[in-house]
Amino acid sequence: MRRDVPALLSAGWLLAVCIVSITAPMISNSSPYQPVAEPLTPPGQHFMLGTDALGRDVWTRLVYGARINPGASLLATAITVTIGGLFGLIAASISGWLDRTIMWIANAMLAIPGLLLAMLFVAAMGPGLPTVILAIGFGGAPGFARLARTIFQQVRERGYVTAAKALGAGRSWVALHHLLPNAQSQLLSLATTHFAWAFMGTTTLTFLGLAGDPSIPEWGAMLNTGRAHLIDAPWLALFPGLAISLTILAVQSLGARLANSESN
Amino acid sequence: MEGLLTAWAAVSLTFFALRVVAGDPVASLLSQGLASPEQVESLRRSLGLDAPLLIQYLQFLRGFLRGDLGTSLYTSRPVSVVIAEQLPATITLALAGLCLALLFGLGLGVTAAWKEHSAAGRLAARLAGLATALPVAFTGVIGLLLYRYILQWFPSVGFIASRRLFLPALVLGFSSAGAIARVVQAGLFESMRSPYMLAARARGIGRGVRLLWHALRPALPPATSLSALEAAYLFAGTVVTETVFSRPGLGRLLVSSILQGDYPIAQGVVALAALFYTASHIIADILAFLIDPRLRKAT
Repeated sequence: MRRDVPALLSAGWLLAVCIVSITAPMISNSSPYQPVAEPLTPPGQHFMLGTDALGRDVWTRLVYGARINPGASLLATAITVTIGGLFGLIAASISGWLDRTIMWIANAMLAIPGLLLAMLFVAAMGPGLPTVILAIGFGGAPGFARLARTIFQQVRERGYVTAAKALGAGRSWVALHHLLPNAQSQLLSLATTHFAWAFMGTTTLTFLGLAGDPSIPEWGAMLNTGRAHLIDAPWLALFPGLAISLTILAVQSLGARLANSESN
Repeated sequence: MEGLLTAWAAVSLTFFALRVVAGDPVASLLSQGLASPEQVESLRRSLGLDAPLLIQYLQFLRGFLRGDLGTSLYTSRPVSVVIAEQLPATITLALAGLCLALLFGLGLGVTAAWKEHSAAGRLAARLAGLATALPVAFTGVIGLLLYRYILQWFPSVGFIASRRLFLPALVLGFSSAGAIARVVQAGLFESMRSPYMLAARARGIGRGVRLLWHALRPALPPATSLSALEAAYLFAGTVVTETVFSRPGLGRLLVSSILQGDYPIAQGVVALAALFYTASHIIADILAFLIDPRLRKAT
């Protein structure tokens, strides 16, 4: 097997984020909310990544952020996959007016860029981290529904589905026993690509301050507060920004690999 | 025609998302203690929120067609006026960003396809990939930091690289360039392997002309339609860019209106974005028609 360095690095980074998020209290013995030293202490011996404007340890906050960010994006992706997948499945298995209506609504929703659609939901529900997760989940759903429908339609045209129909299988039987199981691997690779988008989306919304409480150790919010000290303390913005970017890059490169192995 | 239907549906969506999901938009004023129950009641009446939803919707549509987007809950100023004030700043940024995105996208795409087997080509492909992956918030911060350091060593750069427009546009353009570069590269890859390229080579036409005229031209229509889509997504990008660079504009207006719970403004900005998206779709179709003679022959 050919060695794939980017994929190995990506998997390594994601694994590290997972381990760090589980063992957060062991890795760092300070609290992400309590000041530990002078404000804006540069990175050094005592504080690996320095402290922020309130004297809180940046490393500790990043470590606890590893519990929030991936989890939030995972939840948002789950919402998108459930809603989008369900409507895609319905549209693909019941063709005709229902299919056309669902796709028309999805296309109309796609006229609003996903991020703005999510912001519209935040406007409706009020700022906060749960809202951000829901909003990104809903915001990605129309695009996901459209792609999922195409996948289900491809499965629908296969011989065994025709055979099942000839044997008298109903629409819901075909949908649940043939379309869903056989589209699984493709849906998984689609969901992986979507996770990268959801991660970017949630951190963007929290960066814009839409998570409400700025004290939560969340990477997007940390990047935003770091912006105010770009000159005197660039590490405040650099480290969370790096963490966000590395995670997105890692997920994308793994997703691309997954899609490649799919087509081969 | 279909564009109009889509625009109508998207604008209606902004109305129903806020009314149905949020329920009563004025209630939040009450819970925040910003207004007394009597004030809320009279505000509700003056906004027409006591009417049935369908009537409200029809009134909203009628107002929208006349360019009346309601009034802000906080300043009582017409939303259309507030938006019109911020619009020029965002349009300037988005247009500058689009120009740079096209420039980078074409440059990276052509380099990646032309120098496919050399370091420069691989670097261009890598950069295009990075451009789509990196969040605008982070590239913006990196841009600001680099700008600081460059300014320390070469103070004169500050004159050219104006912080107010050039840097935000650069960051915005870079983020959109990746997708354009990918489409250009894929198109070139395909056309460079077609028989007419061999024919052109046999006629003794130079490599540069072959690449830029014979190969690039058929690769342009898909790139143009994508660029039009990118233009619409650029609008979403301006929201972040404006925040990073503390630049005034529609994006900042949207964020602050959401944080304040000023729903008519949020609704107006998103509806405008939807209209903009539909319009850029139509423009993309027209442009593709103008560039690609094959489409003209078909109709």
